[in-house]
Amino acid sequence: MHPHAGASLSRRRFLTLSAAGAAVGTAALSGCAMRVSGGVSGGGETVTLMVKPDDISPELVRQAQKDTGVKIVTVRHDITKLIGMMTNGAPPDLVRGVGATDAPYFAARDVMEDLDPYFAGSSVLRVDDLDPVNDLWRFDGRTQGKGPRYGMAKDFSQDSMYWYNTALFDEAGVDYPPETEPVTFEEWLENAKRLTRRKSGQTTVFGGSYNGVLTPNLLASLTAAAGGSLFSDDFSRVDFTTPEARKALNWYIEYGRAKVGPSIIQPDPNTWDGPTFQANRMAMSNSGYWLGGLINADKKLAPLARLAPAPLFEGGRRVSPCQAGTGLWMPKKAKNKDAAWRVFEWFFGEGPAKARASSGWGIPTLKSLRPLMPAQEDYQKRVLKVQNAELKHFSVIAYTPYATADSLYALFNQEAPAAMNGRMSVDTLAGRLNSAMNEQLKRGKEQVG
Amino acid sequence: MTVDQIPVTGRTDPAARADRATPAGRRPRISMTARRHRAFYLFTAPWIIGFLLLTIVPMAYALWLSFTTYDGISPHWRYVGLGNYTELFSDPQTWNSLGRTGLFAVTSVPLSIVAGLGLAVLVNRPVKARGLFRTLLYLPAVVPPVGVGLTFKALFDQNSGAANGVITLFGFDALGWLADPYARYVLLMSVLWAAGNVMIISLAGLQDVPRELHEAARIDGASAWRTFRSITVPLLSPVLLFQTVTGVIASVQTIMPLLLSPDGTTAGVTALPQSNYLYMMHVFSQYFALGRYGYASALLWVLFVLILIVTGLIFKFTSGVVFYNVDPEAKK
Repeated sequence: MHPHAGASLSRRRFLTLSAAGAAVGTAALSGCAMRVSGGVSGGGETVTLMVKPDDISPELVRQAQKDTGVKIVTVRHDITKLIGMMTNGAPPDLVRGVGATDAPYFAARDVMEDLDPYFAGSSVLRVDDLDPVNDLWRFDGRTQGKGPRYGMAKDFSQDSMYWYNTALFDEAGVDYPPETEPVTFEEWLENAKRLTRRKSGQTTVFGGSYNGVLTPNLLASLTAAAGGSLFSDDFSRVDFTTPEARKALNWYIEYGRAKVGPSIIQPDPNTWDGPTFQANRMAMSNSGYWLGGLINADKKLAPLARLAPAPLFEGGRRVSPCQAGTGLWMPKKAKNKDAAWRVFEWFFGEGPAKARASSGWGIPTLKSLRPLMPAQEDYQKRVLKVQNAELKHFSVIAYTPYATADSLYALFNQEAPAAMNGRMSVDTLAGRLNSAMNEQLKRGKEQVG
Repeated sequence: MTVDQIPVTGRTDPAARADRATPAGRRPRISMTARRHRAFYLFTAPWIIGFLLLTIVPMAYALWLSFTTYDGISPHWRYVGLGNYTELFSDPQTWNSLGRTGLFAVTSVPLSIVAGLGLAVLVNRPVKARGLFRTLLYLPAVVPPVGVGLTFKALFDQNSGAANGVITLFGFDALGWLADPYARYVLLMSVLWAAGNVMIISLAGLQDVPRELHEAARIDGASAWRTFRSITVPLLSPVLLFQTVTGVIASVQTIMPLLLSPDGTTAGVTALPQSNYLYMMHVFSQYFALGRYGYASALLWVLFVLILIVTGLIFKFTSGVVFYNVDPEAKK
């Protein structure tokens, strides 16, 4: 008997129709996912963001829904959870990442969506408006800075630049550093020693903090400043025994030994420089322009704080890289790519991006937003002048795709305390770091194929 | 024969079977034994399913991972057989961290048991406001480990911690509490800080000791110490054994050093003072900092086997000194 119009549905027919409907729906959804939109408005979709609480506040989440029509669900950023979600085939739609180190790592493992087609069709995020720092999010399969774009930085700093507290310099009788000419790393360390104040075995004022954003990246930057490269040409090895890398390592270990600032053998309980600098307990902090967000909000500290260019090594070259370029990327298996791109555009090119630019929390990553950087007060104008002069020396220091920054940092942490405590020579340390890190890189290279 | 009269054992005689024969077309009657079995499995099913899904499956998965180079994300991981296990035995960090863990266990477990028992004896005495003392002494055990870790980190920071604030008041130089060689003592203090947990269990054990035995001992002229040594401790021995076994297992899995780690990153665990770089810290760093899921799983499986062996040895060597106050009939 054939079913006819108006006949009640048998259970079998209901299931058949449901299955057919599901198949058509899935195909339609897949078709949507294949399309690349240019700033389409959201249609009530939900996008999952894996971020840290500081990246996007609950108010911003609500604002996003108003502005884009897309509902945002946030998941706390956690690399283990991210891997679990990706393994299960249900990754978040957008993930927080550090462009300097995460981009080559994930791109080499082919889990990132190539965003070039999205950028090409966007009127909000135009490629010719992107600051060169966004090249940290490009990877051509071999080298960072070239090839497709996999993400974008929300703001950036030239992280080897440092802030200094003029009041603490005055108290210690130390001359201020020149505003547009860099001091040498040796001079920086000498100043830090003179600025450090101790009492009964306790450091009451740190002379200077120089830890960078991520230690492996910092060491790569220091080596570049010394005129060399930490990584081999194919990024499959490190070599701490070259004269330049050794110079960089030696300086950083000397910094640790001098105990003028936080390090792995003298940790700051705040875990970052901000609160210590704000409490007038740190004379110099290499946090880059980004720390201006905190400084501008503190009316007592702001007039006392000044920005200085990244130091250089005597005989080395002047480089002033971004060591982070933190932003968002889209996993290749994200379910809701069009809606995610709409949120991406909103986050990087609309309200939140403008608010970040005018707050001083980093340099905007769209050139068109630069005029929003704070310059109302004299001290802000002075900072901006130093920052603008430093932009001429911006450079991208490519990172290996074969290891996470965390893994190389973990290996550094295992060996470096002995050297910082004077129980191991820098040469021995260099050999041990080569051995441990190259083993990790070798494993990574095998697994990338 | 009514249902209540059906023997609960599996033995049935032909007459009973005939009585229970079901008429055609009626649902067969189920024996009481079968009902009890069914009820048992129905009631325990949630736990059994949870145990299978959340314990056995992950353990089996970890065992499989331990034979691979899997890192969670890279496309070309491979099967390496016993490679991770052989590497593990030649890894000096494994042996060093295992040795430190053993030392930590043999120090922290007896100390916390003695401290907990001591507190239990004190708050078991009939004094005023006994309930308040019990609550106050148990309170630290309620604080989550994360809170304890962060508090201890702040208290013992070299430059801003209260511990050095007190020391310098008396004219001494500040100490680097969170660095070697003092870090191990801070860790030990953090364990003893939560002795209230042990105290509560010991207190329950103490209240189970029959009062008449103490009274008899007092009449016989035994001193308080002798009564404690010869009556209280033997009767408390099953509780002490329980605390020893669970204490050893907890101490080899301790995460407190992680919470005392100098920086907030995953990789910060490797910057721990050497004395606090315990076995689980090594596992954590291999897993989360180095992304070596396979190798870390092998480390965990070795730890699992070691815990089994140590627990077995504890049972074996304490069998002669642990007295179970159990009704012999009930034991059947």
